[in-house]
Amino acid sequence: MRLRLGSALVALALTTTLAACGGANSTSGDVEGGQKGGTLTILTSSTSITLDPANSWNLAVTTLGLLDRRLTNWKVGTSGEAEVVPDLATDTGTPSENGKTWTYTLKDGIEFSDGTPITSKDVKYAIERTYAPALSEGIGYHRSLLAGSDGYQGPFDGKELDSIETPDDKTIVFHLNAPYGDWPWIVSTTSTAPVPAGKAPADTFGQKPVTSGPYAVESYTAGGDLVLVRNEHWDAETDSVRTAGPDKIVIRQGQDPAVEAQKLIADAPADQKTFGADFVPPAQLAQIQGKPDAKKRLVTSGPGALEYLALNTQSPKLKDVKVRQALNYAIDRKAYIVAAGGPVSADAASTLITPGIAGREDYELYDAGESGDVAKAKSLLASAGVKDLALTLIATNDATDVAKAEAIQQAYAKVGVKVTIKPLEQDAWTTTATGDDAGAYDLSLGSWQPDYPSAAGNIQPLFDSSQIGGGGYNISRYTSAAADELIKKALAETDEDAAGKLWAQADRTILGDAPVVPLIYTKNSFLHGSKVADFYIGSFPAYPVYTAVTLKP
Amino acid sequence: MAVLDPHHLQATTGAWRQLRGDRWALMGAALVAGFVLLAVLAPLLTALSHTDPYTYDIEALDAAGVPMGMFGGVSGAHWLGVEPQTGRDLFAILVYGARTSLLVGLGATAVSVVAGTVVGVVAGYTGGFADMLLSRFTDLMLAFPSLIFMIALGAIVPSSFPKALFIVLVIGAFGWPSVARVVRGLTLTLRTRDFVLAARAIGAPTSRILRAEIWPNLASSVTVLATMAVPGAITAEAALSFLGIGVTPPTPSWGRTIANAVSWIQVDPWYLLAPGAALFLLTLGFNMLGDGLRDAYDPRVSGSRG
Amino acid sequence: MIRFLVLRTAGIIGVLLAVTAATYVIFYVFPADPARMACGKPCTPESLAQAREFLGVDQPLWVQYLEFLKGLVAGRTFGDGGGAIVCAAPCLGYSVQHHQPVTTLIAQTFPVTVSIAAGAAVLWLLTGVAAGTVSALRRGRLPDRAVMTTAMVGVSMPSYLVGLLAILFFGFTLDVVPVGSYVPLTENPVDWAFHLITPWCVLALLNAAIYARLTRSQLLETLGEDFVRTARAKGLRERTVVVRHALRTALVPVVTVFGLDLGALLGGAVITERVFSMYGLGALLIDAVGHTDLPVITGVTILAAAFVVVANLVVDLAYRALDPRV
Repeated sequence: MRLRLGSALVALALTTTLAACGGANSTSGDVEGGQKGGTLTILTSSTSITLDPANSWNLAVTTLGLLDRRLTNWKVGTSGEAEVVPDLATDTGTPSENGKTWTYTLKDGIEFSDGTPITSKDVKYAIERTYAPALSEGIGYHRSLLAGSDGYQGPFDGKELDSIETPDDKTIVFHLNAPYGDWPWIVSTTSTAPVPAGKAPADTFGQKPVTSGPYAVESYTAGGDLVLVRNEHWDAETDSVRTAGPDKIVIRQGQDPAVEAQKLIADAPADQKTFGADFVPPAQLAQIQGKPDAKKRLVTSGPGALEYLALNTQSPKLKDVKVRQALNYAIDRKAYIVAAGGPVSADAASTLITPGIAGREDYELYDAGESGDVAKAKSLLASAGVKDLALTLIATNDATDVAKAEAIQQAYAKVGVKVTIKPLEQDAWTTTATGDDAGAYDLSLGSWQPDYPSAAGNIQPLFDSSQIGGGGYNISRYTSAAADELIKKALAETDEDAAGKLWAQADRTILGDAPVVPLIYTKNSFLHGSKVADFYIGSFPAYPVYTAVTLKP
Repeated sequence: MAVLDPHHLQATTGAWRQLRGDRWALMGAALVAGFVLLAVLAPLLTALSHTDPYTYDIEALDAAGVPMGMFGGVSGAHWLGVEPQTGRDLFAILVYGARTSLLVGLGATAVSVVAGTVVGVVAGYTGGFADMLLSRFTDLMLAFPSLIFMIALGAIVPSSFPKALFIVLVIGAFGWPSVARVVRGLTLTLRTRDFVLAARAIGAPTSRILRAEIWPNLASSVTVLATMAVPGAITAEAALSFLGIGVTPPTPSWGRTIANAVSWIQVDPWYLLAPGAALFLLTLGFNMLGDGLRDAYDPRVSGSRG
Repeated sequence: MIRFLVLRTAGIIGVLLAVTAATYVIFYVFPADPARMACGKPCTPESLAQAREFLGVDQPLWVQYLEFLKGLVAGRTFGDGGGAIVCAAPCLGYSVQHHQPVTTLIAQTFPVTVSIAAGAAVLWLLTGVAAGTVSALRRGRLPDRAVMTTAMVGVSMPSYLVGLLAILFFGFTLDVVPVGSYVPLTENPVDWAFHLITPWCVLALLNAAIYARLTRSQLLETLGEDFVRTARAKGLRERTVVVRHALRTALVPVVTVFGLDLGALLGGAVITERVFSMYGLGALLIDAVGHTDLPVITGVTILAAAFVVVANLVVDLAYRALDPRV
């Protein structure tokens, strides 16, 4: 069990970037009725949980889903694609002006954990808070979409954001800069989780937040336990997303993922009402194969997040598309999959849009076989006139990531390309890959999961030329007028089928320029104790649905 | 004109005699010698086994990445089995890992002992303001939570800088203050000894006094300090690799292999055995040798272990 | 004596200032940007600039350092207006990762570190001194050899390996000790001790070896000294001679090392806390390094350094008080 330096990275991964939009048809988990009551324990290697919704990167189905409601939410079942459904609002939004204005009406009978009714002003205030410098850490797609928000610094000094209107306590209207078809998904993020208007100071609200979901915070220790108890003012009648089974939930932080998995494999009486929030490490996955009892309690998602090798198109060594195509042919996906934990953890990838996302078309542009087409790669390199290619590969400093990088190093050595691995701390990796210095690396391992299930989330952040440097995730530093144009057209399209076709076209166009080598679609595995019920992974994201878990007596 | 100090010559010969009779120290020396041999002959040994520490052998693994066959995949091709998930040869990793451990251990010790001795002698012999300054600086270095700084520095060093050299320097940089303290203390006492005073009285130049009078009397202590510092440096390298910030992969390192192997222990316990035992035995060897040396030079507490 | 104390205190403050300054300089050249943590997703250049200003990292290094020193004495606020975050004195900074002032974080994690350290220290001091004494008194005989062999093996084992194996064996194979959780002393003292027993024993095993060796050599040295011979010559019982006279003197250096070790425990806590999944100061610190959480790094580093220098001072004072020869 390797000690994890930045175990909270896993938390980041959990709540943010690396999840997967799981395959629609291959969801799994044991769904059997548990009952109300009991204390559920969740083990996690994370060491900090952000309780102020404005700063949170949580997916709708994990921790903050237990605490906070939003305007809309995700309906995540064991089959079919994830759907956007109403949560606090009565519907998923009424657009006008081709999607530039969106109107929502709040349900009746919704209250905060302190007993006060939730009004549209509380939702507006919550969104305004996300513009304050102290609270701008969360998922912020709405920030640039809302009209007239340039230079807005939050509501604390009495200023309001005029593009959010609240004509009465039940109605809220959003005015956007441009038509945006995915707005109903945007308001499913934590940014629309209501906070009591005027009573949520930036520095102390997150210590003991007033919540709107089925649970309230009893106590929180940094790196220690987060204890949740029932919010008596939550009314199940108004909530179609959360089942709120357990009476109490303890989230225990700072766990070593290997020890955590071993605990759950052992399933001692004290750990039976427990599940792990971390992926089961490869060693424990192998260990489970020989243990039918534990195997029953292992839940694996369908193919989800895309892992890819970014080829820095601005590096002089990789300017030539032939070289980049050669690297696509030379890849040894079999070795990479073994390093990633074997077929139980990964499927070979060939497209940018991940399985289970509307609009995806399956195709293979560079047929490298299982272990790479060395001859083809060599001839492409020769025709590009490249000799003695030496490349720097950056990866995060994590045992599995380094093993993956080594698999790539091995594969490219076979075609005479020398790869030097530079392992970086997660934060240093982010700064290097998303920073402004295009010359800092040639190759980088990348992994991406959209924050909501839409092909836009697969393509735009990674390949739009506006996302190069300055914190953007276009780490291939790929610029193409054709691709930019397609992305722009697809984003504005409000018809889902038409948008899907445009995204599929963008997928092929981009991959033709070979700015990345698609490697695998990851499959995440989780373990739970024998008295945990309704534990499943939906079609999106490839994480257990915390809000549905119940306990057996 | 040399002022003889018959005392230290006697001590040295006596120490050798004593060391030769110390079975523990000899065992330690044998262990150390064995690993040095392993490290030096690494290319030859892996030529015999037809392996290297880098090449993947996925054929030796099952679908879950676990080595196939008995004892972690021990076979004619892989004498100590293979690494899970990659199939790399553990024998090659072991012998090349010995190079890393010894190189870093000895290199870091050399850095800390040389720097520590220079600082200690200068502080102890010069005294006054220089002594105060150097002593405070030594205290300052001792006050640093060294592991934290090693980790942090490891994160900021550019990748073009050779990582092994960096580890040597950083472990050395945090190792010298303790050496400096001891050497300063010894130098302080030596400075007032008759033979040094005599040399000064007849006007011998400082450099000569340091070389001919001080150093010979320090040499034995410094040797003991150095020997006892090596296992610390080796452990530190392994700990850094264990935390994921040691030498850059795929350069073999026992610490990194141990870190990976611990999580595999229930599936493939053989993975941990060789690197774990090697690290333990090499550290033990240096500790036993260092102990023997110290006993030999300090007869008051020696002879305990027959 | 007063002059000594004043000088030493001034020296301590000097050392601490130097440590903080050095920490600042080292982490300033860190390629990662602390503001990125506070920047959000997507992290646009505008929001990054805003985050930099909020955290004060847009200022030159020396200004940041002065602000830090000011906050330590007088407290400070981050940002301005109604959305500002107040950090009361002694303010070591505000952790973006945890959304709490560093002082609060230290207060939350410190008990964990102290719990691990204190129990382990008591155990290893007692067993180490006892074993060392037995060894010295039975010099060259079986008990001596047994103790010294165990000690030699003990000092040669990497702590993390022993710790991890102990977890696997006692925690999983035998299932007799709890794994990976900490119960505060105030909540339930028995559970507290029960959860800490594995780290205590592992740490004690490794450190007792050092103390046994030290005690043995010191005691052997003292037993040969004149005042012990005098005591023996006076016809005192051997037990009295050993306990009252020899051991007492021999323990002075042991206590010295113990004091220094306690001061340095924070550095050692890094590995221990990681291995045993307990979130104390060491784990907090390593986490902060991984996240470029500069305020936490500087805060804990200063605390660690303060511990070392204060322990040094205490040891020096104790030395003066205990040993008439100094």
